[in-house]
Amino acid sequence: MFLIRVRATFEKCGRAKYISHLDLNRCMLRTFRRSRLPIWYTEGFNPHPYYSFALALSLGFESSCEILDFNLNEDISFDEIRDKLNAVMPEGMRIIKVAEQKQKITAIAKAEYSFSLISGDTERLFDAVQELIASPEINIEKKTKKGIKTVDIKPDLEILFCEKADNSVKISMYLPAGTQTNYNPTLFIEALKKTTEIPFEAKNIRRTAILCADNTVFE
Amino acid sequence: MLKEKIEKHLLEVQKPSRYIGGEVGSIIKDKSRIDVRFAFCFPDTYDIGMSHLGMKILYSLTNERENYWCERCFAPGEDFEAVMRENDIPLYALESLDPIKDFDFIGFTMQYELSYTNVLNMLDLAGIPIYAKDRTDELTQIVIAGGPCVCNPEPLADFFDIFILGEGEEVNLEVIDLYADMKKQGASRLDFLRKAAQIEGVYVPQFYTFSYKPDGTIEKMTVAEGAPEIIRKRIIRDMDSSYYPKNFVVPFTEIVQDRASVEVLRGCIRGCRFCQAGFIYRPFREKHADTVVNETKCLCENTGYDEVSLASLSTSDHSEIDPMLTKLLDYTVSERINLSLPSLRVDNFSESLLEKIKKVRKSGLTFAAEGGTQRLRDVINKNVSEEEIMNTCRIAFEGGYSAVKLYFMMGLPTETDEDIVGIAELANRIIDLFYSIENRPKGRGVQISISCATFVPKPFTPFQFEPQDTREMIEHKQKLLLDSVKTKKIKVSYHDPNVSQLEVVLAKGDRRLCDVIYTAWKKGCKFDSWEEHYRYDKWLEAFKDCGIDTAFYANRRFEYDEILPWDHLDYLVTKEFLIRENKTAHQSKTTPNCRLRCSGCGVNKKVGRECF
Repeated sequence: MFLIRVRATFEKCGRAKYISHLDLNRCMLRTFRRSRLPIWYTEGFNPHPYYSFALALSLGFESSCEILDFNLNEDISFDEIRDKLNAVMPEGMRIIKVAEQKQKITAIAKAEYSFSLISGDTERLFDAVQELIASPEINIEKKTKKGIKTVDIKPDLEILFCEKADNSVKISMYLPAGTQTNYNPTLFIEALKKTTEIPFEAKNIRRTAILCADNTVFE
Repeated sequence: MLKEKIEKHLLEVQKPSRYIGGEVGSIIKDKSRIDVRFAFCFPDTYDIGMSHLGMKILYSLTNERENYWCERCFAPGEDFEAVMRENDIPLYALESLDPIKDFDFIGFTMQYELSYTNVLNMLDLAGIPIYAKDRTDELTQIVIAGGPCVCNPEPLADFFDIFILGEGEEVNLEVIDLYADMKKQGASRLDFLRKAAQIEGVYVPQFYTFSYKPDGTIEKMTVAEGAPEIIRKRIIRDMDSSYYPKNFVVPFTEIVQDRASVEVLRGCIRGCRFCQAGFIYRPFREKHADTVVNETKCLCENTGYDEVSLASLSTSDHSEIDPMLTKLLDYTVSERINLSLPSLRVDNFSESLLEKIKKVRKSGLTFAAEGGTQRLRDVINKNVSEEEIMNTCRIAFEGGYSAVKLYFMMGLPTETDEDIVGIAELANRIIDLFYSIENRPKGRGVQISISCATFVPKPFTPFQFEPQDTREMIEHKQKLLLDSVKTKKIKVSYHDPNVSQLEVVLAKGDRRLCDVIYTAWKKGCKFDSWEEHYRYDKWLEAFKDCGIDTAFYANRRFEYDEILPWDHLDYLVTKEFLIRENKTAHQSKTTPNCRLRCSGCGVNKKVGRECF
């Protein structure tokens, strides 16, 4: 049977950030149906349209780089697939690019995140952030299937920039992502909350890139 | 802007996508070009309200008019309500995220008596005066309600400016049109209500006053402002040409009825004497099979739903059911869409129909037997014989089903212990039947689930005169049923009689209950239909504080010649017919369905239609 494998990159912004991962699954299924694209169904006892997201995105996060893989039964140009989907996507979600699946999902090693920390005292908050980044280890409590365990995220944390703005501190970082280890930027934010008494609020958390081990963009 | 305030706290609450809008299919307009803004409010949470078909119809219909904007609004969950109250977020509509207090109409659909306190809570959250008399003279904030509970809206009379009786497809727009006109002329609220009261189907409760006899029953009703003595409900004459939405708002979060839904018929030919829907939605009107098929295709394509259900009181009563299902299945099977068919009756559940349904999906079978003995089923006019129930179960078991769910009611008029034991006996005979079938499903035991509701007599049914069993009587019957069930193959569940008691009081109550509802809400009652929120003790306090005896409404027989709180509302079925049916019930005699013989309910005669 004819089948083409497709990889779509999409953004999830604005109100769409409140769509949970579970709901996103259902939402995409309906989007495919509205688009009338010939999506490939699994064979077997209970056939269902096959599609999968490379990484889950936390509720409340925005993203400009989400990856969605699916298969089609007909040869349709990438541009047409993009346009047909974008015509029926929910507000805040948009396909940026449709291309072939160049790499395996297992090639994903990290993700780039940016966010702002809003505070009335940016000076001191900035210092606290610097101090945390410079500390030899950043231990956090991570919920796993086996219970809560303490993890040092410091070795895997790469800070890209950390700047003071008017009423916020803007940070961008790489964190491990993929089939092996997944760290969420809220772990860093929680660690910061434990080391400083300065009240702040994290805003505009956004995933900005999905990368391979050599820091090239996953395609 | 409210949006920022909302978003600041949205991640603190459960299922936040319920509170921010932006769903596919939601309608956004430029408010500078809008003449009338309508907040369609559902007095329960998003998950429940978004499943309601009537809202989908009226939402799309109103929005077809360029200069009117209808938006959705639901009761927030407990967690989000706390956030709203703490941060001064008024109740807002999901499309614009604007506060509904600035809207022209605040419209509620009243589906269930136990949602009444939610209406008060929502008005309060919105910052709208709860009592109609406390609202401004200006023409704005018209609080309006429709839906089945409005057939006796008296317990809500003090809170609403307008009730719409019957089907809203035409009358809603007539009322909005009148409002738009009068708003331009600078009319007052009272001017508008006076004129609105002249539209058929519009009931303005403040123009009607009641006096009571020493025994508590109604002495007389007085009408003011030239409003009509009798208000007649509205109906749509032709289902094929009547409006049906081409698209639904498709929620992100999972809702109770998360599928496309196509209405196939309105009204019911059956006349089960306990069933309010069976009488207040008369006359019986069908859509042609082709209309149903076209609407199904259109909705599935626009929403992307992969499941569609046919909505009606009794889908198998459609005169073209076989060709309709054949055509529908051609489409749904090729498009990999699930077709679900609720409301199928036992007695005309044919083998060929079951074969067709089986093609789609195997799920549980549910039958509403309602009464445990034939005598009782005759009393309630549930025209289903034991033979038919057994026959259907046989077909089902042979077709591979091994679980059957049976619905019953407890506390029906004339019911005795024998009828209750009869429920368990019927279930036992179904088990025996299962094991007597050669080609029954192997490897599984049979499972019978008995679900027992407490009977609630409702207005505009032949049982409107009937008292409800007292709590002691219901508890006795529940125990008797449990004692009669001697096998684990039968599972029994039943309703809390305290809930059913409140339901009947609010269903059959008069205006004196308005203050009770207000008092109960003030004491913290809301979401009364949710077991975890229901506060029976608070309700009892409220009744006591207001000097109202629940037994007067719940456990008293209403006389045939008594003025009933809903007697001035004309739902087309005549009171003479209801009295006749009540008497027939007490003789344990059945009335055939409308196709077999006209029982003279008076509906079509009044509106000048032919029956069959």
